[in-house]
Amino acid sequence: MSIIEIKELTKYYYIGRNKKIVGLENVSFSVEEGEIYGILGPNGSGKTTCLKLMLGILYPTSGEINILGKNQFDIEMKKNVGFLPENPYYYDYLTGPELLKFYGKLYDIQEKILNERIEKLLYLVKLHEAKKLALKHYSKGMLERIGVAASLINDPKILILDEPTTGLDPIGCIETRDLLLQLKNQGKTILLSSHFLSEVERVCDRIAIFHRGYLLATGTLRELIEKYNAQGLEDLFVKTINDFDKKGDR
Amino acid sequence: MKKAWIIGLNTFKESLRRKTLYILLVIALIVIGASKAFSFLTAEEELKMIKDVSFSGIEFFGALIAIFMSLYAISNEIEKRTIYTLFSKPITRQNFFIGKFIGVVLILTLNFILMCLFFIGLLIFKKSPPDIQVSKALFLIFIELILIGAITLTVATFASDAFNIIFSFFLYIVGHLTSYGNQLIDRTENLILKGLGKILYSVVPNYENFNIRDKVVVGIEVSRNYIFKIGIYWLLYLVIVILIGSYFIQKREV
Ligand SMILES: Nc1ncnc2c1ncn2[C@@H]1O[C@H](COP(=O)(O)OP(=O)(O)OP(=O)(O)O)[C@@H](O)[C@H]1O
Ligand SMILES: [Mg+2]
Repeated sequence: MSIIEIKELTKYYYIGRNKKIVGLENVSFSVEEGEIYGILGPNGSGKTTCLKLMLGILYPTSGEINILGKNQFDIEMKKNVGFLPENPYYYDYLTGPELLKFYGKLYDIQEKILNERIEKLLYLVKLHEAKKLALKHYSKGMLERIGVAASLINDPKILILDEPTTGLDPIGCIETRDLLLQLKNQGKTILLSSHFLSEVERVCDRIAIFHRGYLLATGTLRELIEKYNAQGLEDLFVKTINDFDKKGDR
Repeated sequence: MKKAWIIGLNTFKESLRRKTLYILLVIALIVIGASKAFSFLTAEEELKMIKDVSFSGIEFFGALIAIFMSLYAISNEIEKRTIYTLFSKPITRQNFFIGKFIGVVLILTLNFILMCLFFIGLLIFKKSPPDIQVSKALFLIFIELILIGAITLTVATFASDAFNIIFSFFLYIVGHLTSYGNQLIDRTENLILKGLGKILYSVVPNYENFNIRDKVVVGIEVSRNYIFKIGIYWLLYLVIVILIGSYFIQKREV
């Protein structure tokens, strides 16, 4: 069985009485243990909506979510999942270690193990020299990095990352990429969303292309390129989206 | 419950590092301290004045702190989107809500203690250490503040900040005028109006119940029985408010 299974997931947002916005429309896909799965899509295509639904932050209009054999609200399941939200923003007045400690405590991690892990994670994301700095003085890239550390605090089996490289400089992007591959080698399953095609191309085993709430295509890059007769990921991306929009126009 | 505590302590810690709290606290202490400035009064009058102004000051500034800290406790999590990360943790949304409540109670307790120490210091300085009646009045103010905070927290689970501020202050004022309201209701002839009025009267928290300071200032004794009765009223009201908050936080989409 897949480690994550999404079945016919639909999410409508309602604004006022009558206005309905499609966040996600009948999306199904699954993620296998140990792979890096990338959700690609233009702005507003439903990537964040999908990830929020998977963590029980939003309620689906219809459809099912199954993670580690449990539904998205299950507390035991959440102990094995780490999440990095889009443009993470944390408690201004805490320092990095304090933030990690706070989140760690919510997982019932033993004090000693937690402290060691915090130390290790701060090194991993290169924030060990900013231990005394309050988060409100962090740069965008530092916030993204402390976010990554925070999402790893419970040593999760599954990592769900919403645009982990937004706001990072090229070096930061490369470092994140290396980190993701390193985590994969440790046996973690990673689901990430992104609109940086090159990044996705390099790290993801399989991808999904989202557009206007629909899942247009999913598979390995090679499969998809063959299927759509595309030149590369960029071409594939443009082709699937244009095809869809043309169908809609007719 | 342990997780609620962790969230509560974090809320408390965060608020200690922000300035708003201290500004309110300093103004409150200035007001309480100023009660002593009426040196033309006789000693006895002055003592009454100190008690009167201090009780009112502690209650009013306590209410301001309760409303603003509760509002901030929830709306800041939503606005700064820290709530996404929290909801992805192995906690229930009720843990989150109760945690915020614990945080607000801790903040209120600290502020309340500081204001009381200042007030008691004044009384001792005036050679009239606080008696049991004074502590009864303070106790009722304290539980009133907790209720005010809980109501703002609960409204924050479903309404906007602007609505919440207006609603909380409106309730604070109306809650202190309920007895006048009741007299008005009794006098109306219109049955529908009367019915609506009665319903409103029983739903709105009667903050005036917690006010025994006018009596205490002039030296009228308030029975322990009354305190007990109001304590039960408070507890029931608080439990209902928290249940409503827990219900709405469960439904909330952020
Ligand atoms: N809270 C909300 N209320 C109403 N509509 C929303 C809400 N959140 C998202 N939407 C809408 O749902 C659609 C999908 O948004 P979503 O944030 O999931 O896209 P995304 O793929 O993450 O985009 P981006 O790349 O910009 O982050 C958009 O049309 C958006 O306007
Ligand atoms: Mg997004």
